[in-house]
Amino acid sequence: MTALLEVNHVSKQFGSDTKALSDVNFSVNEGEFVSIIGPSGAGKSTLLRCINRMIDATSGEIIFDNMNVMNLKKKDLKKVRTKIGMIFQHYNLVNRLSVIENTLHGNLGKKSTLAGVLGLYSQEEKEQAVNILHVLGLDEHIYKRADQLSGGQKQRVGIARALIQDPRMLLCDEPIASLDPNSAKIIMDHLRNISTKLGITVLVNLHQVDVALKYSDKIIGVNHGQVVYNGSPKDITKEDIQLIYGSEAEDLIFDVGGIHAS
Amino acid sequence: MEANEQLTSAKQLLDPQLQKKIRIKTLTKSSVVIRSTLIILALLSIYAFISFDYKQLDVGEAVLSTFANLKAMFLEPHLKHFTFTHALYQVFVTLGLAFLTTLFGAIIAVFLGLLAAENLTNKRVSSMIKGSVAFIRAVPTVLWVLIFAVAAGLGSVAAVIGMTFHSVSYLVKAYSESFEELDNGVIEALQASGANWWQIIFQAVIPSSLTYMISWTFLRFEINFAVAIAMGAAAGAGGIGFDMFMASNFYLDIREIGAITYFVLAIAILLEMVAIRFKKKLKVNG
Repeated sequence: MTALLEVNHVSKQFGSDTKALSDVNFSVNEGEFVSIIGPSGAGKSTLLRCINRMIDATSGEIIFDNMNVMNLKKKDLKKVRTKIGMIFQHYNLVNRLSVIENTLHGNLGKKSTLAGVLGLYSQEEKEQAVNILHVLGLDEHIYKRADQLSGGQKQRVGIARALIQDPRMLLCDEPIASLDPNSAKIIMDHLRNISTKLGITVLVNLHQVDVALKYSDKIIGVNHGQVVYNGSPKDITKEDIQLIYGSEAEDLIFDVGGIHAS
Repeated sequence: MEANEQLTSAKQLLDPQLQKKIRIKTLTKSSVVIRSTLIILALLSIYAFISFDYKQLDVGEAVLSTFANLKAMFLEPHLKHFTFTHALYQVFVTLGLAFLTTLFGAIIAVFLGLLAAENLTNKRVSSMIKGSVAFIRAVPTVLWVLIFAVAAGLGSVAAVIGMTFHSVSYLVKAYSESFEELDNGVIEALQASGANWWQIIFQAVIPSSLTYMISWTFLRFEINFAVAIAMGAAAGAGGIGFDMFMASNFYLDIREIGAITYFVLAIAILLEMVAIRFKKKLKVNG
């Protein structure tokens, strides 16, 4: 297995005194499902956004597919971004447009400016969109406006928009934080499937430790902008959880032992 | 009994505060400013009424003859110096002037509005455009028309340029503010998929703010219709406004002014009705 993504000594400083990330190192293999866990404000979102340079890291290097993302010029950066899909907590769909239009937005990066502006998509692209929406169980909603959908359905449209890019990697920023447990399970199952069946690397920011332990191949624990745990979910101990969240594991509202047992 | 005791003890607790008056509003700087402004305005109004020069005018008589004029204007309207079809045609000329200037203004304002929206450009460009547009907006439309009349001569050309100018400044503010309403996450999502600026504008920003844009443009069209009437009179731009000017200043025919006013009113109501219909449709389908 080769490393698709390598993050080496990455730091990010906001202003002069707030350090969001300090010397972060990890690597992600092709097709792996990796969860990043940690308390709010630990730098999880910043870390994720540094990878596709929605935020520019202050120092360090990020190697994606043997390219250093940090040095890319605007045009090459856009090319890299087309290979990285992104999913958001608040779905970030264009509410006034239909589900299929929102899905096709994932293709904008590969189109010419004019075709993108006018919204001209080829028959192939449309078929692909319909197929993806079918796989995600959104057949009936193709022509509905995005704001008429439930949260879980919106998030599936978000996934569809990322998948149509034909990405090598998905970055998911708290994909289930605004969803009820049922929809959250559907979304996580879809993401897991994407990783195993399509071989797409998935990098997820999560608040739910139990969910992270259940679904991931690898856990990265972040606290105060530093990686404090990096390893398999099987080996994680109460002490590790305590290190990540800075509290007694017993105080947290889940049971580590129970999850390992199941 | 017990409840009574509790009540009395509660009263005792409140007592020291009761002696001191409890204010609901605290005296802040802004409330002081507002109050003193109101007081000054009141004093000025009183002074103005005292210091009016009535020129031996009997107020009662003046009011009565004003009513007589209004009665002649609105209850006995007639057309004397031109025909009904001519008036209708002139109303369409005025509407045309309003439409043209709104259209020009809207097209220019879309692009300037995009550059003026803080979430779509950098802060410097945005504040530069917003600043200059605020300056243009501060000067009334009529004045702009008269300024352009220096170069283009009094007439329809000056009116079109001047009204377009002011429409642009008005719509840039309206449009850029509705663009700024857009959730930044949507822009982020499209940026993350590699889309470029123009694609994001036309695929996310404009579709999201289309309803706002249309209702602002319609409002400006209504304003431009009113301004176009005034321009007909003040800048010789033609249309029903010019006929009104002739009726009042040349023929001194109050009744004809009444008739023209009814014309304008009918058109204004018609526009309002169309606008409401339009917006309803947009809300359902858009």
